[in-house]
Amino acid sequence: MTAKDNSLNGRQGSLLRFDLVTFLSMLALMCIGVLFIYSSNMTSSGESIKTKDYVYQIVWIVGALIAYFTIQLGEYDRYERFSYYLYIIVILLLVATLQWGRVINASRSWLGIFDLGIQPSEFMKLAFIMVLASFYQRRAARIKHISTFLIGILLLLFPVLLILLQPDLGTSLVFFPIFLAVSFVAGIKIRYVLFMFLSGFFLVLFTVLPVWESTIADRSFSVFAVFREKKLFLFTMGILVFAAVLGIVGYFTAKRKFFYWISYGFSVIWSAFGGAYIFRELLREYQIMRLIVFIKPEVDPQGSGWNIIQSLTAVGSGGLTGKGFLQGTQSHYQYLPESSTDFIFSIIAEELGFLGSFTVLVLFGIILVRGIYILLNARNSYGVLIGVGILTMIFFHMIVNIGMTVGLMPITGIPLMFLSYGGSSLWTAVIGMALLQNIYINRYTY
Amino acid sequence: MDTGYHSANKIRNTYKNRLFALTFIFVITIMIYGGYLFRLQIVQGGEYKSRAQSVSRRIIPIQAQRGEIFDRNYNEPLVTNRDSFAVDIIPAELDSEKRETVAKKLSEVLTISAEDVLSKIPVNYSSYHQPVEIQGGVDFSKISYIAEHIEQFPGVTWHSKPVRQYHNIGSLSHAIGYVGSITSEELRVKYNEGYGFNSIIGKSGIEKQYDKILRGENGRRFLTVDAHGRSMDGEITEEIPPENGLNLTLTIDRDIQKLAEEALGERIGSAIVLKPATGEILAMVSYPWYDPNIFNSSNLIGNFSRLSLDSKYPFINRTIQSSYAPASVFKIVMSSAAYEEEAIPPDKTILCEGSLRVGNRVFNCHKKEGHGHVNLSHGLAESCDVYYYTLGLNYLGIDTIYRYTKNYGFGEYTGIDLPGEIKGQVPNPEWKKQNLNSQWVGGDTVNMSIGQGYLAVTPIQMANMIAMTVNGGEIYRPHLVKEMRNSITGGVEETIEPEILRSSNMRKETFEKVQEDMRGVVKNGTAEVAITTDAVDIAGKTGTGEVGYEDRWTAWFGANAPYGAPPEEQIVVVTMVEAENEWEWWAIRAANIIFQGIFADQTYDEAIEELDWGWLHNDRVTQ
Repeated sequence: MTAKDNSLNGRQGSLLRFDLVTFLSMLALMCIGVLFIYSSNMTSSGESIKTKDYVYQIVWIVGALIAYFTIQLGEYDRYERFSYYLYIIVILLLVATLQWGRVINASRSWLGIFDLGIQPSEFMKLAFIMVLASFYQRRAARIKHISTFLIGILLLLFPVLLILLQPDLGTSLVFFPIFLAVSFVAGIKIRYVLFMFLSGFFLVLFTVLPVWESTIADRSFSVFAVFREKKLFLFTMGILVFAAVLGIVGYFTAKRKFFYWISYGFSVIWSAFGGAYIFRELLREYQIMRLIVFIKPEVDPQGSGWNIIQSLTAVGSGGLTGKGFLQGTQSHYQYLPESSTDFIFSIIAEELGFLGSFTVLVLFGIILVRGIYILLNARNSYGVLIGVGILTMIFFHMIVNIGMTVGLMPITGIPLMFLSYGGSSLWTAVIGMALLQNIYINRYTY
Repeated sequence: MDTGYHSANKIRNTYKNRLFALTFIFVITIMIYGGYLFRLQIVQGGEYKSRAQSVSRRIIPIQAQRGEIFDRNYNEPLVTNRDSFAVDIIPAELDSEKRETVAKKLSEVLTISAEDVLSKIPVNYSSYHQPVEIQGGVDFSKISYIAEHIEQFPGVTWHSKPVRQYHNIGSLSHAIGYVGSITSEELRVKYNEGYGFNSIIGKSGIEKQYDKILRGENGRRFLTVDAHGRSMDGEITEEIPPENGLNLTLTIDRDIQKLAEEALGERIGSAIVLKPATGEILAMVSYPWYDPNIFNSSNLIGNFSRLSLDSKYPFINRTIQSSYAPASVFKIVMSSAAYEEEAIPPDKTILCEGSLRVGNRVFNCHKKEGHGHVNLSHGLAESCDVYYYTLGLNYLGIDTIYRYTKNYGFGEYTGIDLPGEIKGQVPNPEWKKQNLNSQWVGGDTVNMSIGQGYLAVTPIQMANMIAMTVNGGEIYRPHLVKEMRNSITGGVEETIEPEILRSSNMRKETFEKVQEDMRGVVKNGTAEVAITTDAVDIAGKTGTGEVGYEDRWTAWFGANAPYGAPPEEQIVVVTMVEAENEWEWWAIRAANIIFQGIFADQTYDEAIEELDWGWLHNDRVTQ
């Protein structure tokens, strides 16, 4: 474009173009994380039980920051051509994890030598974002064609299935919003994206409704026999599929758009209905129960409801200014489980109060909004698409994790990025931010 | 770079709208979360603050002492408690890295293997906040060692778990029962009644029936504690003292119990001694019995399954949980009906030639050569079957027999204060139609007339029948608990008053005549040779039940003494020996010994000496 822009080309000027807003917000979140990992490991009498956790976290942060700056050495487009290799390598790592991985908390998600371990499922998110962005960008001309969307789904299914086998339902769920957001921004027809979104929504709804009825609802609904009795299920399924087929026939004979949407609607319902039936066969009732217990944690005060009740109590009792750093009672009396990973937000909210928890929200908000601004100035569509994937990943982790601690979301055990204790999650988040920074730095590079 | 050659503006225009849509979702969601946090932390903050306070206060239960059990004389306890503790682990507080070390340390203290410790806390329990019991019956010295070194035992706690001691209760095991840890099924049913995960609960007998009275109410101590269960402020903030369970005084007389137990000996069967005027049970023996102390031993499961699988069913209390054909003792009901209905003149004789033909079936009398001409009194004395066949078939009919049977309380619960009572079975034509889908025939009436066929009664019902003849129409609810006493002062808190279970509208004279005929049975009838005691005048009735064995029968004897005395002075004895045993006509002999012992105030040994049955010394109970 202008001569001035060209003069700033290349690495030499990159520090001047460096985006301090996202970098400092990220740094602030990571510092808060270290402080509260330290806090979560304290007992009430002030002695520490697992002193090393916060030290480890610092080590990982330092390592992640080195990676952050190393990534700025190259332009992000150059990484694009490696994205397929990266995708395949991480897929292979996932396969290896299933074979030789370590079982922690009942799922085989760790791959490691001696005490060092990584969770390939975390890095899979980045590899998936890169490969999907690359694919959509190359198919830009045929982006509205359904085949593009279907191949995208294929790219999605490999990691999702491998992670489901571990089994880690929470982590595999993260891939869906990423996929939907990237597809939506890339220009996939909205009706395709909406179809997937809606049938996913109804799938979850139909899966949990019968369990909701039997454990939480005050009364029973005779309609729900549809989910339980096989004959009734098959009958209903038949009617739904028939209606959808009728819609298609009507569309082709009458050539009316009206029939198309009828078929669309019924297809959403029948695919969700059938899928939910399979889900309920595969999942145990207590697993489904865990997904909905947040609606009314009192029904299971000893099991999964315990965590929600304790976390809510921690957050709520924080008040405006909190009980003070290291002064939280819920966490220090060890009523809160997994407090350095899944429930770190509860401790922040308990010890720093609304001011602290709101600050965390605002810092995430800054990263997300500033991130969109960076994407609006991105040089090419590849940058926009990986950026969308990364921001969606951070956003989804945030709402699911924080939602879980305040009883708005089911307990899925996915960490709060930047804050939760754990190397793989931290590295994934920081490398994602590094790519975003790279998009910013190279916004004028041609 | 083919792909990158767009102008920034073009890129921006392509994606602007969709990126704005995404931003909209981001910002709105964060605002909703911010608002929700505001509501949770500031609007509702106070409520959660008090909740946080209460959560970090731990409630430590103070065990109420379980009441002791005494016999009717309230001198020496039959059942007491011994101080003991149980060691628990709270899985959620057990550091996963320290699992093995803690288990090893604990195993050294408890002298069990580390694997045993770990097997009690499966890995999937790791977020459980309820204590899991590792071992019970741990004495105080080990607990104090753990308490002093608590930092080496993270996640380890303990609770007081006194061991129930049963002191030489012998055959009282069925009446008294035993206790055990509550099962999850029991807890689900009784959760609202103050039971918890570590509760001890009565499993059978008095221990079960009177569990709520025996257990009392646990007290509570409120402490602020940290993760290791260590008290934070060092002092108790609040305490609700426990209310100890009440002691129970049984109606059982331990001497009579011992006497009846030894009189029955090692014969599968039962014996009941009852005070007819109140319903108090003086002795209740069911053989075989078991030692409830085995449930305290470490080999609980092994002992329990051994006894459960025993083909003699030692857990069955045969006095209330088994029913049998009453056989000839049932003729008391028949005679009552004959007198009350005036169905047959008492002096009218019926000729017994040793058998009776009904349709194409021949029913034998127990005396093959026949009794000759017998009237009602002789019929009972000689237990002439042909007389009662004829009486039932030609003079009473099944409906009358059924009515009188029910009138005596057969086929109904006696309401005894023990769990698991059965009510037996009284057949009639409707019953047969419903259950066997066949017609009631004359042969059925004939069979029932001598207490055979589909009729099934429990020994306690039999005792009630005798009691009704003694009382002249009343049956008092049989019971085992006489009074409840304060465990510290010993003062009586509640006395169980006699309670009329049934009242018959039969005339007093009917019962007097039946009693007179029962006296005839002992004086010059079937019981004459066996009842040898001179200590008291007995009225009774023998019974010999067919069960299909070639030369074995169930033996019954139902009796009361002293004959003719006011009901308050009388006692009822019902003995029953199953056909499983060698035939030795033992029921009546056991009753003979029991009456001798009670009325001459003698022990079993003295009684058999007195009866010149010294040879029985070799036959002593060895169990």
